[in-house]
Amino acid sequence: MAVLDIRDLSVSYATPRGPLKALRNVSMTIPEKKITGIVGESGCGKSTLISSIIRLMAPNAKVGSGEVRFKGENLLARSENEMRALRGTEISMVFQDPMQTHNPVLTVGRQMIDIQYRDKLSKAEKRKRAAGMLALVGIPDPEARLNQYPFEFSGGMRQRIAIAMALMAKPSLLIADEPTTALDATLEVQIIKRLRELQDEIGCSILFISHHLGVIAELCDEVVVMYAGEVVESGTVRDVFHNPAHPYTRALLECDPGHIKVRTRNLPTIPGNIPDLVNLPSGCIFAERCDKRHDACAARPAMGTASPGHHAACHLIAERVTA
Amino acid sequence: MSALLEIRDVFVRFKLRGGVFSSAGTIDAVSGVSLDIEEGKTYGIVGESGSGKTTLARAVAGLHHASEGSILYRGQELVDLPEAEFRKLRREIVMMFQDPIGSLSPRLTIKSLITEPFRIQGMSDRDLDAEAKRLLTMVGLPPEFAARYPYQISGGQARRVGVARALALDPKLLIADEPTAGLDVSIQGEMLNLLARLQDELGLAIMIITHNLNVVRHITDKVGIMYLGKLVEEGPTEEVFARPQHPYTLALLAANPEPDPDAQLMRVELQGEPPSILRRPKGCEFHTRCPFVQPRCSTDVPAWSSHGAVAHRCHFPEIWAQEDAATT
Amino acid sequence: MTDTAVSLPKPRSELGEIFHHLVRDPLGLAGLIIVTLIVASALFAPWIAPYDPIEMNIPDRLQGPNLAHLMGTDQLGRDTFSRVIWGGRVALQVALPTIAGAIAIGLVLGMIAGYGPKWLDNLIVLFFDTVRSFPTVMFALAVVALVGPSLNTVILVIMVTSIPTYGRVVRTLTQSLKEAEFITAEKSLGASTARIMGIHIVPNVLGPLAVLAAMDIPTVVGLEAGLSFLGMGVKPPTPSWGSLLNDGYSLIRNTPWLIVAGGIPLILTTLGFTFLGEALRDVVDPKLRGKGGK
Repeated sequence: MAVLDIRDLSVSYATPRGPLKALRNVSMTIPEKKITGIVGESGCGKSTLISSIIRLMAPNAKVGSGEVRFKGENLLARSENEMRALRGTEISMVFQDPMQTHNPVLTVGRQMIDIQYRDKLSKAEKRKRAAGMLALVGIPDPEARLNQYPFEFSGGMRQRIAIAMALMAKPSLLIADEPTTALDATLEVQIIKRLRELQDEIGCSILFISHHLGVIAELCDEVVVMYAGEVVESGTVRDVFHNPAHPYTRALLECDPGHIKVRTRNLPTIPGNIPDLVNLPSGCIFAERCDKRHDACAARPAMGTASPGHHAACHLIAERVTA
Repeated sequence: MSALLEIRDVFVRFKLRGGVFSSAGTIDAVSGVSLDIEEGKTYGIVGESGSGKTTLARAVAGLHHASEGSILYRGQELVDLPEAEFRKLRREIVMMFQDPIGSLSPRLTIKSLITEPFRIQGMSDRDLDAEAKRLLTMVGLPPEFAARYPYQISGGQARRVGVARALALDPKLLIADEPTAGLDVSIQGEMLNLLARLQDELGLAIMIITHNLNVVRHITDKVGIMYLGKLVEEGPTEEVFARPQHPYTLALLAANPEPDPDAQLMRVELQGEPPSILRRPKGCEFHTRCPFVQPRCSTDVPAWSSHGAVAHRCHFPEIWAQEDAATT
Repeated sequence: MTDTAVSLPKPRSELGEIFHHLVRDPLGLAGLIIVTLIVASALFAPWIAPYDPIEMNIPDRLQGPNLAHLMGTDQLGRDTFSRVIWGGRVALQVALPTIAGAIAIGLVLGMIAGYGPKWLDNLIVLFFDTVRSFPTVMFALAVVALVGPSLNTVILVIMVTSIPTYGRVVRTLTQSLKEAEFITAEKSLGASTARIMGIHIVPNVLGPLAVLAAMDIPTVVGLEAGLSFLGMGVKPPTPSWGSLLNDGYSLIRNTPWLIVAGGIPLILTTLGFTFLGEALRDVVDPKLRGKGGK
């Protein structure tokens, strides 16, 4: 069963030029006890998607259609109070910038005890739990470090603390928004490995947003590829990365510098820009930049099945099946 | 033939601001770096935050003062060169900054921005409209961009404006600080291809500063790896990538996994966090995180040794090389 | 996250852009209309005012509003409406040079403090703090007592006491701009300090200063009115909102209209310029323009 089931979600922002359609008919399922990656470049709608799930949207955002079902219940229909009860307990978040997610004037211990305000435990017990969580995310000497302030920790350590705090309430779903982007690569791999181990231990689902294909490949079970506000491909990491069915996914993989082994002075790119989300093209969203563009692309493609569990929104799939 | 730029034993030292009770000390952000950049060649400096790579670049560009050592540009000493003298060299030594939009003066149009070098260097008698058009075309932007403001263009386009601006006066040396920072994967290549093309066309030398080894892999001739203000390995790019000698280089390479879930990871996993530059470890700076650390590493500073054309500062390159051979 | 570069409206000039966004903001539009009315009436006072503001007409003294005198007359039979219109002229004659002078001096001192060496910064900040520590009205009263009341004295006193307001803002902005990457980029191209200040710092400081100035105009107008009310500002018979208030105050048992006539333009000026300032604040920063729910 899926922890999170997003169906046909469309979100737009009111702008002076007209509605900017940031998400259009987005559907995806986040399976239980798995790590699902969302990959996409700027303007693909990742941030809008996360803010819609946790219902912390910009004031000019408007949900046009769709449902966000968490354990079977539509979050978009919940009251603000019910949402607040859910955030930090059932659904937790880790953000991109570890330097700004903590209150600078309180000790880490105090903050970790404070977020357990819902639990009826003694302060000493809460403190013990906090120390245990710090140890779990790989912070040495956790008892002593609880008395330190955020500025006394490095960026990598702070991100570990953020993860510890997010996992404190044993959430069913952890949303991690580019949690390692601000960190050095050698620290990034340490945190990725830890996250993988923690997921096994705690058994939660993780929605991991990243633009770094190598990290997605290493960490995730499933992957959803987004482009300009639409889901263009989804499936297991192995299916999607080994047999990309959508030309965008394929082009993106080819562009990844980790992919290019032979020395070249002419690196692959995807020419062009993402389309204007206020004045959308009528057909396939990627058609303008696609090297496989043909007549059918003037119509918007439906999500097709490339193989069981592997879907892509491209006319080529339907044509391959019928051919 | 001597190199275009010769950096010898350069230290860049910053004063620490002392508190009420503590006395102010100093830290060496760059601690004894030597390297040569040949005319028309590309040199990549790779390091993570705190490695001193940007400080080194800014010292070469005359934006930081080198406390010790020598920076020779075509035989002319840049260290302690008065600003009035340095200004003449700023036609030949130019820099591109990390933040593509933030490094453009926000209230100026793109045309004013890319023709500013002419005005600064007293060449405003040139036809600035024609120059703007030439430069925009050179970096692959439509001429209409001249009328726009920095906040009206994307990060990738702002990068191109940065290149146009840097190359306005036909420089000899371009210092590019994180030229692909903040760019999407699909256009990172465009930027690197542009730099490679312009280098071929204009014959300029490029010093690329980056934290990402993959960025320098394809367009640099030589690469130097920095850790805590020092170079730990240096050599021709292809050889360093094929046979890294220093464990830190190997760790950096392994930290950029390829997008293949079944890839056999040759993972060199580092321990803990990079040490603070305030408490520089004794012996080999890297020993606190090195997975192959030996007792000697915490006491003796490794000297440079060579393996083919690659030079490194590691006491025991052979030890981890054997382990590496065993795991693959 | 939204890519602003995908398609753009035709580029407008900076001022055109500000005006375009200003009139789309209800607050900005209201402020703009009120301010335009005040400025226009001051500018065209000789044509708008039906009577000579200082011409006495004792038989018609202390009238209420009627068709001949829209706002009635004062104790000397002068037409109150004409005095309000001419009083606006005096108010702006004080406010505009005062603020222009304070901005000019504040800009120069603030930039020197923000960009220059530490000792100069300390010296200038000390000057700001010293000036600031005098209560404006007390300072004004002392100067007026020394050299006698006149329009120029009022202008000079208010200008000097306003310098720190602008200087401090410019200093703080300059300090943060100094560290901005585009300033380092300019240095790397060899730009001189004068060029960096004039071309790259001034334009980025002027926007916030314009906001501050718009908000400050009512304060200055109020100060002028206050000093005139105390008999320390504009000399009679020159019409001023402050002297209108003063007359109205002493004659409140005879007629309420004078005090109303002196108060309403003050309130309108305050509202108009404050609205304009508030709206400008959102508009002068190009990056904030067109974002948010407006």
